[in-house]
Amino acid sequence: MQIEIQLTNEPIAEKISPLLSGGMAGAWVEFRGVVRGEENGQAISALEYEAYQEMAGRETRRILETLAEQHPCLAVKVIHRTGIIPVGDTAIYVGVGAPHRAEAIALLAGFMDRLKQDVPIWKRGVRSAEHRLGTNQNTAGNLPSRCSAHSLDEALAEIRARCLPLPAVRASLTEALGRVLRETVCAPEDLPPFDRSTRDGYAVLADDPAETFSVVDTRHAADWKPRQLKPGEAVRVATGSALPGSGLRVVMQENVERTGDRIRIARREKSANISFRGEDVRAGAPLLSAGVKLNAGALALLATAGNAHPLVSPRLRAVHYTTGDELVPPDQMPKPGQIRDSNSILIRSLLQDLQSDVAQGHLPENFELAKSQIGNRSRNAGAIGDADVLLVSGGASVGEKDFTRPLLEWLGFAIVFSQVNLRPGRPLIFGVNGSRVAFGLPGNPLSHFVCFHFAVAAALGGLTGGTGPVFLRGQLAEKLEDQPSPRETLWPARLSWGSSGTARLHPLAWANSGNVACLAAANALVRVPANQGSVDQFAGVDFLPLTAMLEA
Amino acid sequence: MRVLFFAQLKDVTGCEAVELPPPSPSAGDQLWAVLLEKFPGLAAHRPNVRLARNWEYADSATRFADNDEVALIPPVSGG
Repeated sequence: MQIEIQLTNEPIAEKISPLLSGGMAGAWVEFRGVVRGEENGQAISALEYEAYQEMAGRETRRILETLAEQHPCLAVKVIHRTGIIPVGDTAIYVGVGAPHRAEAIALLAGFMDRLKQDVPIWKRGVRSAEHRLGTNQNTAGNLPSRCSAHSLDEALAEIRARCLPLPAVRASLTEALGRVLRETVCAPEDLPPFDRSTRDGYAVLADDPAETFSVVDTRHAADWKPRQLKPGEAVRVATGSALPGSGLRVVMQENVERTGDRIRIARREKSANISFRGEDVRAGAPLLSAGVKLNAGALALLATAGNAHPLVSPRLRAVHYTTGDELVPPDQMPKPGQIRDSNSILIRSLLQDLQSDVAQGHLPENFELAKSQIGNRSRNAGAIGDADVLLVSGGASVGEKDFTRPLLEWLGFAIVFSQVNLRPGRPLIFGVNGSRVAFGLPGNPLSHFVCFHFAVAAALGGLTGGTGPVFLRGQLAEKLEDQPSPRETLWPARLSWGSSGTARLHPLAWANSGNVACLAAANALVRVPANQGSVDQFAGVDFLPLTAMLEA
Repeated sequence: MRVLFFAQLKDVTGCEAVELPPPSPSAGDQLWAVLLEKFPGLAAHRPNVRLARNWEYADSATRFADNDEVALIPPVSGG
């Protein structure tokens, strides 16, 4: 196959002569890539292309030769212009000659895909004012790569500072599970509200020395019949029933021999077997503090205290979009180059764990199409305009198709940070728009998992008035093997409890942020400082307990 | 050894290229350690940057030696 490759600073001619010789070619297919007036949602007047000349040429040739094995063609001509290229001008020309059009078109399509992955050429948008000034300053200011990365602590501080509690609502107990209590609830009365028996047995005067008693009355659990006992008298009581008066004790029935209406005490116990009024909680004492997450036990306590409509956090509304043309639903067989979408169910499940409603959708990997799709959806109820939290999976890096940041800006979000000096999960974007927050989550499942548990959870904690993620101290159960990384790491781990109550953390194997295998086992994230490298067995570490955090 | 920077990495390092003292033949990780010491700002880019040696992408088996031309290749966007 004849190959001709040019990198040039000059405009590409309107007409290019086909490389056709020998009379074998039945097709000459041409493609021109033209500079558009918009890049990442920003109006531009030109694109500035930069190339690693020596390598770009070699890599282009290597790609073409590889593709020609699959798609036999006769000749290829590639011209890529570099430098500043005004809107409307041709940036790349590719012509392919082949016996039939099918091979030529296939090779052309394959080449453009590979070019955008591997050929070392870069472009930046040039806005009108900068055009022809030849400056590098801020020409790509909308790209996350130009922002300095936040540390994990800085990122958490930003999120907490900007995610303030949403107005509280009153919810019935059946709807309140998992919500954050937003008022301190005090006991309206003593608990228990009366002296009650803790045994099935017989109530007698506490200081009555008699051995035999006559049974004069019976109290069932719901009975309320005060009665002054005399020496030698006993009242049959059931567990939980109100005692007939004060100054009593209960002899459990196992220690009594009963004959008709007479009982004889076979054995005296030390315990009075009474739960005294106010023993659990005194009237007016706080039962639950504002900020606690309501679990089953807390709801039972609220019910006991007669608080049937506690003031709680509103149920959050989340909208989650996946991006990436490579994704197929879990029930489909991925074609080469495709992967099954695991992030949708991951995010849905995590949000549901945090009592948030979630609407999900998929965005095309094209900024204009994505914008029009969101524009249509926002007219529907429960869509993006009403969402408290917007999550976009993928598209958070700096690749050409990664439009999350401009998309969020288009939706009115101010970007607070777009990188965290964290592994995995560096290209994490956080934006705010009034009380609404948005995250651009790196597309890899493990990055998703990590970013959700520290960043999204912190935001949800703030919006609901809860505590959010809290790092605890534990001990490594095994050596954590790692190369020193300039970034802080949140390392997936399995938490167990040592015999002395120590949190023991077993590091899980993961090689890159696309790893899914460790997600099922991970219930903690171990924090490894930057430049640390391996951490010895038994070393003390900070960790984020995931299940406990969800209950916090 | 000469190390080249492109696109946003030039803004991070403030230069297009740098001469590094000739190390013994070293793996990518060792090269990165030297680079990060000199340009800590590269740390944030490392996961998305590929190394190239003498105009070819490096892999885990690649060793970098004195006379090599090394390039840091951030995500490309040609076409």
